[in-house]
Amino acid sequence: MATKEPEHEHRDEEEAGTNEDEDTGAQVAPIVRLEEVAVTTGEEDEDAVLDLKSKLYRFDKDASQWKERGAGTVKLLKHKTSGKIRLVMRQSKTLKICANHFVKPGMTVQEHVGNEKSCVWNASDYADGELKDELFCIRFATIENCKIFMEKFNEAGESVKEKEESKKASETAGLLEKLSVEETKTEEKPVEKVKTEVEAEEKKKSEAEKVDEEKKTEETGSST
Amino acid sequence: MALPNQETVNYPSFKLVIVGDGGTGKTTFVKRHLTGEFEKKYEPTIGVEVHPLDFFTNCGKIRFYCWDTAGQEKFGGLRDGYYIHGQCAIIMFDVTARLTYKNVPTWHRDLCRVCENIPIVLCGNKVDVKNRQVKAKQVTFHRKKNLQYYEISAKSNYNFEKPFLYLARKLAGDPNLHFVESPALAPPEVHIDIAEQQKNEAQLIEAMAQPLPDDDDEAFE
Repeated sequence: MATKEPEHEHRDEEEAGTNEDEDTGAQVAPIVRLEEVAVTTGEEDEDAVLDLKSKLYRFDKDASQWKERGAGTVKLLKHKTSGKIRLVMRQSKTLKICANHFVKPGMTVQEHVGNEKSCVWNASDYADGELKDELFCIRFATIENCKIFMEKFNEAGESVKEKEESKKASETAGLLEKLSVEETKTEEKPVEKVKTEVEAEEKKKSEAEKVDEEKKTEETGSST
Repeated sequence: MALPNQETVNYPSFKLVIVGDGGTGKTTFVKRHLTGEFEKKYEPTIGVEVHPLDFFTNCGKIRFYCWDTAGQEKFGGLRDGYYIHGQCAIIMFDVTARLTYKNVPTWHRDLCRVCENIPIVLCGNKVDVKNRQVKAKQVTFHRKKNLQYYEISAKSNYNFEKPFLYLARKLAGDPNLHFVESPALAPPEVHIDIAEQQKNEAQLIEAMAQPLPDDDDEAFE
């Protein structure tokens, strides 16, 4: 117990300070002895590109209705080295995980019919430690926050897609070089090479647009 | 204390007995913690349902085996048998139904006959409802019998973690125990099956047209 980290100590103090609950319970003998353990969030190698209060729902396919999954904080986390982005949502107070899945290339969120504060998507979710196909709906306190979430999520799906495509493109390019050295069966390949160049050009363009968009998001974000 | 057919775990686990009148929200409260959902429909519990419920604390993972018992007399079943080896308990009443508070002493007496000296939390549920019949000031039973008391709402999640936190602290004898973020492990890579993806997209279109269960409720964190 003496090996507490300063950060934990700070949190304890804070909790004790806000804890106005009076203990009227009887003194009982503890039945277990627990030692403090190192706490890992699993998010240590990631940066949050989004962090918003929200309420999450999952679609009960059998009952054909939305059911609450949790209320708390939704984050989009970008891995510091791989650049992969995942969505993690935790229940407030208990800090349990209600959603945990990668944002895969081409994945998009869509508007929820008749509700501007919420949007829907599907994902292979790992919140319970096993992969499950889930339909999710998320609701925010404001329309603005919902817009920010949709933008960031769809951007994430795009950026992952571009990254994978450029990886494929460079692989193709490498292959082409090899082929041109060998000078065999190159009839079909030039077409593909042109396509690759066009894609690279488009990528540059869309990245420039994205920078503009990010600026816009920041502006709307700060004005709320 | 696990049932014979239930998996055992290699971290501390406790048998938690939940009692109280029928319709006070015991099952809804447990379900809320298990899946996040809030069940409005009332279906009386028959006998008992045991649900394992895990929490992550600064002292590691712990588990409560929640013995969610039938509140209605006619569905009561074993009763005393359910209390045996209970290590902690929650007594629930409904602040919008006075009779459920009046019956608290009976639940307490029955519980204490089997389980001596265990930490007990009294919970006044449904505090989100405007027209309360039992006001906070009128709740005094916990002071007479040395129980902890929390006003809770399974609907709004008000204080919904407090009963578990209190019991965990008592069972471990550590007043500084607190909940921490459970590790969010990296999900395994999945190969996207085109046919499966199309099916999901079709389901999503169906789901998109369905309203949320609590669209009117604006107050959430």
